[in-house]
Amino acid sequence: MSDVTFPVGIDVHEQFANADQQRHAAQLGMWIWLVTELLLFAGLFMVALVLHIMHPGSVRAAVLHFKFWIGAANTAVLICSSFTMSGAIMLSRMGWQRWMVRCMLATAALGSLFLLLKGYEYYLDYAEHMMPFVGQPYALEGDPASRLFTNLYFVTTALHGAHLTTGVAILLWMAWQAHRPGFLQARQNRIEVYGLYWHFIDLIWIIVFPLLYVVGR
Amino acid sequence: MSPLDITLRDPETPRSTLGRPPDYLHEAHTLRSWFFTTDHKRIALLYLATITAFFVVGAIAAGLVRLSLIVPNGQIFTSDTYNKLFTVHGVVMVWFFLIPSIPATFGNFLIPLMIGAKDLAFPRLNLLSWYVFIGGGLFTVADLVIGGVDTGWTFYAPLSTTFSNTYVVPALIGVIIVGFSSILTGLNFVVTIHTMRAPGMTWFRMPIFVWTHYAVSLIFLLGTPVITITLILLVMERSFGIGVFDPRLGGDPVLFEHLFWFYSHPAVYIMVLPGMGVISEIVPAFAQKRLFGYRFVAYASLALASITFFVWGHHMFVNGESNLAALVFSLLSFAVAVPSAVKVYNWTATMYKGSIRLQTPMLYAMGYIGLFVLGGLTGLFLATLSINEHTHGTYFVVAHFHYIMVGGTMLAFLGGLHFWWPKFTGKMYPEAWGRVSAIFIFIGFNVTFFPQFLLGYLGMPRRYHDYPPEFQLLNIVSSAGATILAAGYIFPMIYLIWSLWFGRQAPSNPWQAKGLEWTTTSPPPTHNFETPPTVDFAPYDYPLRTPADV
Amino acid sequence: MSTQLSIAHDPAARHALWQRMRVPAFAFVALMLFLAAIVGLGALAPSRTASFIEIGLVACMILTVLLFSMEVRLETPLMRFFALIGFAWVGILFGMVLLDYLSR
Ligand SMILES: [Cu+2]
Repeated sequence: MSDVTFPVGIDVHEQFANADQQRHAAQLGMWIWLVTELLLFAGLFMVALVLHIMHPGSVRAAVLHFKFWIGAANTAVLICSSFTMSGAIMLSRMGWQRWMVRCMLATAALGSLFLLLKGYEYYLDYAEHMMPFVGQPYALEGDPASRLFTNLYFVTTALHGAHLTTGVAILLWMAWQAHRPGFLQARQNRIEVYGLYWHFIDLIWIIVFPLLYVVGR
Repeated sequence: MSPLDITLRDPETPRSTLGRPPDYLHEAHTLRSWFFTTDHKRIALLYLATITAFFVVGAIAAGLVRLSLIVPNGQIFTSDTYNKLFTVHGVVMVWFFLIPSIPATFGNFLIPLMIGAKDLAFPRLNLLSWYVFIGGGLFTVADLVIGGVDTGWTFYAPLSTTFSNTYVVPALIGVIIVGFSSILTGLNFVVTIHTMRAPGMTWFRMPIFVWTHYAVSLIFLLGTPVITITLILLVMERSFGIGVFDPRLGGDPVLFEHLFWFYSHPAVYIMVLPGMGVISEIVPAFAQKRLFGYRFVAYASLALASITFFVWGHHMFVNGESNLAALVFSLLSFAVAVPSAVKVYNWTATMYKGSIRLQTPMLYAMGYIGLFVLGGLTGLFLATLSINEHTHGTYFVVAHFHYIMVGGTMLAFLGGLHFWWPKFTGKMYPEAWGRVSAIFIFIGFNVTFFPQFLLGYLGMPRRYHDYPPEFQLLNIVSSAGATILAAGYIFPMIYLIWSLWFGRQAPSNPWQAKGLEWTTTSPPPTHNFETPPTVDFAPYDYPLRTPADV
Repeated sequence: MSTQLSIAHDPAARHALWQRMRVPAFAFVALMLFLAAIVGLGALAPSRTASFIEIGLVACMILTVLLFSMEVRLETPLMRFFALIGFAWVGILFGMVLLDYLSR
């Protein structure tokens, strides 16, 4: 058989003149949202950079305590999840809805794996007294700037984790919607737009990992 | 389509009668139809009511501050109460009135009308942004009024993190939440302007009002996230002592100021640019002339929106930034004057040899231009390193930014409110009262704030409630001016509401103005236009005047 | 007519899928290689110079995600503008703040 794709499309909302306009608007809206996400994280990156400049020694002491290999493994996990998300997008364009749902579930699973590893990492930090804000004695007592960098690590990774948790939740919700036939005939562009978000969380982590775990070692 | 000319009808016709063209106000009357609406026009009116309420709170606080400053030794309020009062005034006016004022009301209402769209691109997101706004706003206002905060609207560390004993964290949380409403509104505007323009509505056929709202949306999107994360860090600092702005813990309070002003200087342009858009609509309409140098005004809006991100350091000349940084920030700050001046020249040139009608919106517009020039020029003083050294933290600064924010934004807001009131409500406001209130506001404003330039130059610091007795006379003049100003604000609140029931029915285009919003009925139908418009005319296509005409 | 699931057994369909997945697969491999380089440098030869190389590698990874995973290279100029403007504004923030910190 020669026809290997199924028809896909979107329902047009009443404020739009046609489907193209709506698709364009949704895509643009997500890009703009991602611009604001980037600048949100940029404030934290800025603080990290200033600390790297002002207190290189203290930052190094803190960085050596962070779980470098878990961070690296988590980066790899997210790169894999980006690949499965790309798969879901391609499958959605071809109209292979069942396969697309499988890719989405795989993506959600990888996202959850990231969160699990992150949780384990937090547990190790706690066990090694690298969680200064909970009131236990701090491993690098007497080095306040390293404590500040450690705190910044928690703020940044927690904010990223919150984005990832939201991402997994939305993914599961959309996968649930798409388990019924007809999803791709009415809402195909949701997958496109959501895919941008997922890739972008990945991109943010790609910046976070070197900035917190690698540079300054 | 021939818009039904309502003025031709019998004025005695009962209000709800047959033959009325369908409009968004009379489509439904239930509370549900307002609080769950996705119509950009109704959401605009929700915003209008909300920001007016916040304005009243902020204005009462300002009145009490001026009351306290009548006497030099601070007998009227304790210093704690005084600090809380100016914080209420600053926080409410900046975060909950000025920033959303024109974009969230007029922008929401007019952008789809001006570009010929049925609605914004994301109507439900638009409603959500109002709920976010009112949720965050009420939360903070309740905290400010019941508990009180004494940091001022700037929340500077280490006062806000270490030394203040007031309820800073709830106030911050509300401000953070309101930021998301700005972001969602900006996102909606940018997407709408890019994707929803009517056939034929090219970029250079858009009114300047749309251009300035595009520019201001970019500032919302590029600046607000940074203040969000900064205030989150401030909450963390105060709640958990993470140390990021505390030098004892390796942090730096100057870093807070950098991050804060990265947003908060551009926030001045969030307040000013939409006002420039309003003035650019009013002036051509009441001079019945094309806007002079349309493209320059359009480009100047984008120039302002970008240059404004390079100048924030002028708030920190004496706060510990390096000399080199201070020099560069000072130089770049002067550059802002260029696009601002372009706009002033263009408005003035538009009026030149026009057939000017001095109705209320035009009075406000002319007041705006004068006050904006004064505020802008004193801004150049403040951007000069040596003069800043002398005037930093004095009433000179207070007077300067009130000339921009009240003389600029507030006058533009009131001018626009009168200009588009017939379109919003379908009713005319009483012209005589409108003129009286405009004159009251202009006089009251100058009497209130001009003395503050003198006080500041003589060395009176801001945010203190006692001062040397020799400053008393100028302070009394200033407070007296505030009462005139207050009267000027109260008049429109009364007569505009009065006009809803008793005002004359408005025709589609009471000012013979140009622009798509005047081609539909007043008030517009739910989907804005009976037939989707096609644009084949230039913006501001007022009749060309030959020298013989004038 | 194949069903939704069994279509994956059709060689023509599998070929069509692979055609589309080539770019994401390339992006995946490139990102993994960049990551390996960063991790290797950080683990084996941490130094000041290595830090600058790592930052360069991160820039490459960002570009890979934007251009290939997020398909900016196929987008309209408008989308490209909004993909870039955020990074430009981060540049303003970093540049002007560092101007202060590096000249104190
Ligand atoms: Cu400023």
